[in-house]
Amino acid sequence: MKKVITGNQAVAYGVILSRVDLVSAYPITPQTTIVEELSELIASGRLKTKFLKVESEHSAMAALIGASTGGVRCFTATSSHGLAYMHEMLHWASGARLPIVMVNVNRALGPPWNIWSDQSDSLSQRDTGWVQLYCENNQEVLDTILQAYRIAESVKLPVMVVLDAFVLSHTSEAVEIPTMEEVDKFLPPYCPEYSIDTQEPMAFSVIATPEHFFEFRYKIQKAMEQVPGVAKKVDDEFRSMFGRGYGAIERYGEEGAEVLLMTSGTVTSTSRIVIQKLVQKGYSVAGIKIKRFRPFPSEEIYEAIRGAKKLAIIDRNLSAGVGGIFCQELRAALYPKETKPQIFGFISGLGGRDITPNLIEEAVQYTFEHSQPEEEILWLGLKR
Amino acid sequence: MISISLGDMEWNKTGAWRTQRPFYENKTPPCNVACPAGNDIVGFIQKITQDDFEGAWHLIKEENPFPGICGRVCFHPCESKCNRGNFDEPIAIHALERFVADSAASLPKKIEKIPKEREEKIAIIGSGPAGMSCAYHLAKLHYEVTVFESLPSAGGVLRMGIPAYRLPKDVLDGEISYIEALGVEIRPDISIGEKIKIEELKDYQAIFIATGAHRSRGLNIPGEKRGTFGGLDLLKRINRDGKVKIGERVAIIGGGNTAIDVARSVIRLGKKATILYRRSKEEMPAFEDEIVEALEEGVKIRYLVNPIRIQQKESLKRLECLRMELGEKDESGRRGPVPVPNSNFFIDTDTAIVAVGEEIETSFLPRGIGKREGIVLTQIDGRTDVKGIFAGGDLASNQRTVAHAIGSGKKAALAIDCYLKGKDTEEAIRQILIGDGPSISIFRHLHPEERPMNPHVVTFEELNMDYFEPSKRRRESKGLVKARIKGFGEVTSTFTESIALEEAERCFSCGTCNECENCYIFCPDASILKRDEILAHQVDYDFCKGCGICFIECPRRAISLEEEAR
Amino acid sequence: MKKTEIPLSENLGHGHLACAGCGAAVGMRMTLKALGEKTVMVFPASCWSIIPGFWPYSSFRMTAVHAGFVTGGATASGVRAALDIRGDHEVLVAVWAGDGGTFDIGLQSLSGAAERNEDFIYICNDNEGYMNTGTQQSSATPWLAWTTTTPVQRPKENPKKDIMAIMADHRIPYAATATIAYPEDFFRKIEKAKRIRGTRFIHLLSPCPPGWKIPSELSIKISRLAVRSRVFPLYEIENGRSYTLQEESHAVPIKEYLKLQGRFSHLTEQEIERIQERVDDEWRHLLRKARC
Repeated sequence: MKKVITGNQAVAYGVILSRVDLVSAYPITPQTTIVEELSELIASGRLKTKFLKVESEHSAMAALIGASTGGVRCFTATSSHGLAYMHEMLHWASGARLPIVMVNVNRALGPPWNIWSDQSDSLSQRDTGWVQLYCENNQEVLDTILQAYRIAESVKLPVMVVLDAFVLSHTSEAVEIPTMEEVDKFLPPYCPEYSIDTQEPMAFSVIATPEHFFEFRYKIQKAMEQVPGVAKKVDDEFRSMFGRGYGAIERYGEEGAEVLLMTSGTVTSTSRIVIQKLVQKGYSVAGIKIKRFRPFPSEEIYEAIRGAKKLAIIDRNLSAGVGGIFCQELRAALYPKETKPQIFGFISGLGGRDITPNLIEEAVQYTFEHSQPEEEILWLGLKR
Repeated sequence: MISISLGDMEWNKTGAWRTQRPFYENKTPPCNVACPAGNDIVGFIQKITQDDFEGAWHLIKEENPFPGICGRVCFHPCESKCNRGNFDEPIAIHALERFVADSAASLPKKIEKIPKEREEKIAIIGSGPAGMSCAYHLAKLHYEVTVFESLPSAGGVLRMGIPAYRLPKDVLDGEISYIEALGVEIRPDISIGEKIKIEELKDYQAIFIATGAHRSRGLNIPGEKRGTFGGLDLLKRINRDGKVKIGERVAIIGGGNTAIDVARSVIRLGKKATILYRRSKEEMPAFEDEIVEALEEGVKIRYLVNPIRIQQKESLKRLECLRMELGEKDESGRRGPVPVPNSNFFIDTDTAIVAVGEEIETSFLPRGIGKREGIVLTQIDGRTDVKGIFAGGDLASNQRTVAHAIGSGKKAALAIDCYLKGKDTEEAIRQILIGDGPSISIFRHLHPEERPMNPHVVTFEELNMDYFEPSKRRRESKGLVKARIKGFGEVTSTFTESIALEEAERCFSCGTCNECENCYIFCPDASILKRDEILAHQVDYDFCKGCGICFIECPRRAISLEEEAR
Repeated sequence: MKKTEIPLSENLGHGHLACAGCGAAVGMRMTLKALGEKTVMVFPASCWSIIPGFWPYSSFRMTAVHAGFVTGGATASGVRAALDIRGDHEVLVAVWAGDGGTFDIGLQSLSGAAERNEDFIYICNDNEGYMNTGTQQSSATPWLAWTTTTPVQRPKENPKKDIMAIMADHRIPYAATATIAYPEDFFRKIEKAKRIRGTRFIHLLSPCPPGWKIPSELSIKISRLAVRSRVFPLYEIENGRSYTLQEESHAVPIKEYLKLQGRFSHLTEQEIERIQERVDDEWRHLLRKARC
């Protein structure tokens, strides 16, 4: 059934279809309509999901950690400062190997205070052991949530599904909404290996000394290393059931392009149009959409950039002192490889400034015009 | 791999952390030390709290054959030492002992004669508390015992000297016949020295002389011989005949228990009794309770009065008296009476009785028996200067109490047993002293490994008062005076079961675990193990960290703490 | 209740790493006996992150969920929600948090849960400081006490936060104070709490030998003196309004309590007097609340 819904509404549908048992969330712009939507559905009795109101984001994640340990499927959503507040608990969720799925609406961190689209919030959590999946449109948001539960419950790591503030969260698009029966075939009920059972008492998340801690962390890395394989399997299955698939990355445009433009989130949608236009103008350019940020799809990217001489990557985020985070990860991923195209790291759109087609075109042209970037960080659209 | 626990911590023996270790160790309660008869008082009171009255009775009988008697007539020095006295009021130990005896008396019992296993025969002269106690313990040691009693019935001062309203005859008879049932032979109406000379008792390998002190001491004043008779004699006659010929007004000279007993007996015979005592109330040696009861019953006491001459005036006796005042403390520790010059006055009375003390009869004693200051000389164990002859009770001591007599009989039994087996008595006694002594526990002599008890005497400061609430001492109910003085029926009643339990619950149980479970509850490491058997707590040394909480929170210092050996 | 009625199951076990004489170990042992095996206990970071032992062992013999320091109230809310979703309404959810995790860093989470009247029993094990990290002050540290962050030259400046008043003002159905020297009282309160639905709060005072600078054997005695000196009265509050004060017939001056503890050994006579005044004032205040 196709419906015209906002990104946040798509999230709500994703939650419903995933038969989430418990949602616990704290409102923050621009996530609020997710929570509002779910509250209404639950209050009206149409959704059996339990909603646990809490008094902060940190408590929301803590509550879900408690509930997930109790063996139920959990969900939360947040953004920006809420996510940052939760930071301690994000580590806890992955350390405890709990398959929690969270939607983060990308929003800038202040000060200055800013409620608009910016990837710095989710990316600043990149070390917390969560899988991170970025979405380009509302359909992808809904679909990614369904896939996220499969991935999370398989590898026993929490998964963050990310969408842009306002551009997706509050913008309506046409979304094909699968039926519950269809999703049930795709996503079975949650059956944890270990959960609270007073008949078999055990203590959870106990202290481990240097003697043992190392191995726990090793296992988390191993679980992360399983994600590419698991995610592909899940995506392929999804594709065969629903006709839609996303991959860890998507390469679009012609083969053998000289320059590849790499983007994530809604910037990708704009980039597709810009690249089409530039190709018509004669530029040898194609695009790569990076969907999965963590674990970084090094192999898939390496495969996709064959033959390209230059990579232009647009980061809508900043790690002060080093630059764009996608760019940083890209550099690290390509370093061991033999063929290393030149990387042009662009930063644009922080705090919700529009990344216009003109700016993207500017970035591509710059890439063509220069053999190497003149600066470490190429600020796109900065007012000087 | 999730950080969930896969096992417990029982492998981690935290006992290795200890620098000090607690251990259960029963210690000596002050009441046990004070009891001249060597009763295990805390022991029998604990049994009462466990509803095991028969067990309590057997426990007392291990040391003392006369709980029913002691519970009535003992001067209970245990109660003066009771640690509870520092908190509110001491435990009514005598009343509890009496309760136990009376409960047991009502039980059907089959008393088995104890088989004789020893060749030797022992003769005991005198069937008073000392003699019968010695006979009892010797019988239990499997000896053949014969008790010679000069009077027609056994009991000595218990029968002749203590009136029935304090010690009913049936109680006395019951406890004496128990001893006879064990196999002790009592031969009444045989006065050693008259019928048989002591030197003729050749069939006996040892002799215990416990003839007591029955001769009334005189005042040594003019007119005494014709004008008075002895208090003990009066009591003897009342006991034997049920009545005695006395005048309407009776004056009793003296201040001890005998004087009081005489006075109260006189009241019961329908006459008036006035006690004349030469010191003041504080110095009166009679038991406090007795004095109070005597006054209730109408006995008059005149203090600081001393007769110096008795004249016959027609049918009356005229006592010429001097007023006294108190001077310096004398050798008894009490302030001495000093006559006030020219304070002579007269008291007229119909009968005058002298009850100023008793003396021992020595004419029948064999040669060689040492004597001094009115008693026969003995060693600590009752040995006299003559080999094979032992003495005890009032004959050999100035203590002159039933409890001391019972204790001395027990000690002499032990001494005789050691003598006949060629063992060192003093060493044997040293092993079984209760606390520092002088009382002994014959149970410990017979079963040295059982019921270990550290001789350290628990003081009040060592107890933990946080666990006790003030509670009044229960009192035995007394009959109304009018009813009491109609005859010689018992004045006080035994505790009921519920009152006895209430009073027994007040006992701190000094030094002896009574399973209050504080140690179990407060141990941070669950290292106090309870067992199904009673009074069998143990420390789990695998895990005990030696914090010492159990030591402090034990209300009764039944746990000791020592440095951990390294 | 006769002491022999205390349940025999040792749900804490031994071999655990608590200091000798640890008041909290006594408290935890009693608590777990009282709560029973059908309990999930959430324990935010505190001494109890260490005491039950290191992975793969735990001396807890019932289900325990270790949680972030801040999160006692929130994690327990989640556990309760999960159990209810699974249809498991019999299992009790409890929280065992320290004073840090209750009065300070955990206050928000607890307050949120209490406002929602979450269905769990929350036990604050109050040893009056951050003892796990080496005796730093918390807002539960008493006025003028020494801690490593309130050294003798400048002991604790502010009075102890009144957590019971805070919890009462959340109108939770049941709040009570308790301490380890009064086991029957503590068991009675837990039993009572078990029969109530909603947020139930027990403020349990547990002496800490290293933190209070007391010999290990005096933990029980000192907790009893805390009650007798009225610095920690035993009382219950129902529905935030109805106070039941327990009579203490053995009242002692505060000096008796303070003199046994090294953390108060620097106090002058005047300071002790002022403490006594404050204690008396708080007591009168409590009496007034009880009478309303």
